[in-house]
Amino acid sequence: MCIMKILIIEDESSLRELMQRTLQQERYVVETAADFAEAEGKIAGYDYDCILLDIMLPDGNGLKLLEQIKAMRKRDNVIIISARDSLEDRIAGLEQGADDYLPKPFHLAELVARIRSVIRRSQGRGDMSLTIGNVRLDPSSSRVFVNDQELELLKKEFTILHYFIQRPRHLIDKAVLAEAVWGDHADQADNFHFVYAQVKNLRRKLDAANASIELKSVYGFGYKLVEREP
Amino acid sequence: MRLITRIAIRLTLALAPLMIVWAVLFYFALIKEINDEMDDSLETYSEMIIVRMLSHQELPALNSGSNNSYSIHPVDSIYAKTHDGIVYSDIEVYILEREEYEPARVLTTIFEDDEGRFYELRVSSPSFERDELAAAILRWLALIYLILLIIVILTTILVLRHNIQPLYALLHWLDRYQPGHKPEAVPNDTNIPEFRRLNNAAQKAVERSEHLFEQQKNFIGNASHELQTPLAIIGNRIEWIIDNTNPTEEQLEQLIGVNHSLANIVKLNKTLLLLTKIDNGQFPEMNDVDIAALIRDEVEIYGEIFEERNIECCINGTESLTIPINRTLAVTLVGNLVRNAYIHSPENSRIDVSINYDKLEISNDGDTPLDAEHVFDRFYRATKREGSTGLGLALVKAIADYYSLDVEYRFKNKKHIFTITRPKN
Repeated sequence: MCIMKILIIEDESSLRELMQRTLQQERYVVETAADFAEAEGKIAGYDYDCILLDIMLPDGNGLKLLEQIKAMRKRDNVIIISARDSLEDRIAGLEQGADDYLPKPFHLAELVARIRSVIRRSQGRGDMSLTIGNVRLDPSSSRVFVNDQELELLKKEFTILHYFIQRPRHLIDKAVLAEAVWGDHADQADNFHFVYAQVKNLRRKLDAANASIELKSVYGFGYKLVEREP
Repeated sequence: MRLITRIAIRLTLALAPLMIVWAVLFYFALIKEINDEMDDSLETYSEMIIVRMLSHQELPALNSGSNNSYSIHPVDSIYAKTHDGIVYSDIEVYILEREEYEPARVLTTIFEDDEGRFYELRVSSPSFERDELAAAILRWLALIYLILLIIVILTTILVLRHNIQPLYALLHWLDRYQPGHKPEAVPNDTNIPEFRRLNNAAQKAVERSEHLFEQQKNFIGNASHELQTPLAIIGNRIEWIIDNTNPTEEQLEQLIGVNHSLANIVKLNKTLLLLTKIDNGQFPEMNDVDIAALIRDEVEIYGEIFEERNIECCINGTESLTIPINRTLAVTLVGNLVRNAYIHSPENSRIDVSINYDKLEISNDGDTPLDAEHVFDRFYRATKREGSTGLGLALVKAIADYYSLDVEYRFKNKKHIFTITRPKN
């Protein structure tokens, strides 16, 4: 697997440093730019697999950088990171050729998942499926295979597995999982029994199919997708 | 009371005492003038009689055609000494011809003939009835007062009508003004300086309040925006610690607790941003949204989330209700109402949803009524729940207002009932 290069354009040093540290742990090569001018220089000089672009920069609009990237006919993937979560901004960004739009505040695991997904899409091998161990999940057809044997999952179970498989080895808080799967609806729930019930069914099905991954419970706070020790 | 009516009444009241004072003065001035004239003529008459008497000429006949009459009595010198000079008086005299008493003006004087005898001469002339004069003056005065009043009021109304137009134009303009909507310019085509100043002052006041309104709206929006990045950093740092430092169970519990509180702040912040955007009218795009389908989806999800409470939800009315509305706002509107009903429903209770063409009603069981006046206020909370922003119903109200829908809360038969109505037209 070749090494992926990522450029973070973000003026907030604290956030920039955190993103950099996280992505380096995911074995990406990370470069950073703190402002428009620095970013302009780096974009002109190098190619990146993915550019994380904050559109509100102190010395210019990030959308201008996006224009330049597209004008240079570069194939860099761009994910816009913005404090403004409005449909218009999202549409404007995507229309100008951004590959994804991530509103602040976001989870780092979410950022990693989005980068993976964007890069995989651009590699365009036609195979968009996510594989960990002997489990393969194909988002386009909503099907899951264990050892190439199809695993029948209900809609919610599939969504949960999809969420975990994009964030392997990350502890996923039950509340975060509930919000990811059930939306804003879940945030006032009395308890997370409804999450537990779904995860329990998913685990049972994975076990029955002899999957090499498991959803490990972490002290009852949440779950972590890990590969079983052989 | 309208300004014109008020001015007319004030004028009427102010004129009345003025007219009365004027009438009294007029009455006395008139009497004095008449008496002066009569006294003059009596004096001339008396002099004529005295001259004739002293020169032994013939005295005028007692009834000489004129109404004047006279009498001459000899008096002694002592009386003459004490009654010197000319005295005028008003008396009632008996007129033989008319057989009644008439008021008369009388001149009394003493004269001495060439033989040293004193005579008293009384000359009288019929006068006027003072009561009648007063009554006549009063009658005329009342008439004049009425005529004057009508003229004054008519003039006032006409003049005011004409000159006060700019004031009414300003009032109409103020009536039309709605906070939050850019006002049109004040109609200021008058050249009366006072009104120009008033108009300018009104324009400035409205512009100032608009400016403040705008500033306040932007402040909330900007503050929420500014919070996004630091919130992201806090969340990400905690996430990093959880994923990379192998915390103990206790540490993890604390970290996840921080994360949950943070999630509440993030949610509050997002809701404030959403409210600001609704207030700023930043949701122009409309879709055809099936409200009935939306409600069924929401009910299904909440039914799953609140499964343990065993709440029964009945949806009645039309199967499909498609209206043009922004999808995000429609989901927020319906979602918040359904969510609200589920959150505040006790175990084993029932939620009723009725969907009609122009009315959506959601009701759930409850024990105590909410404060209907404040239930849609921002940060109103009947019960304090962890993670509740206190903005859910404020959002419902803001979205309803945005689309000119009426939203109403009432408590009836131990049920909380929320109703959204489409105004007819």
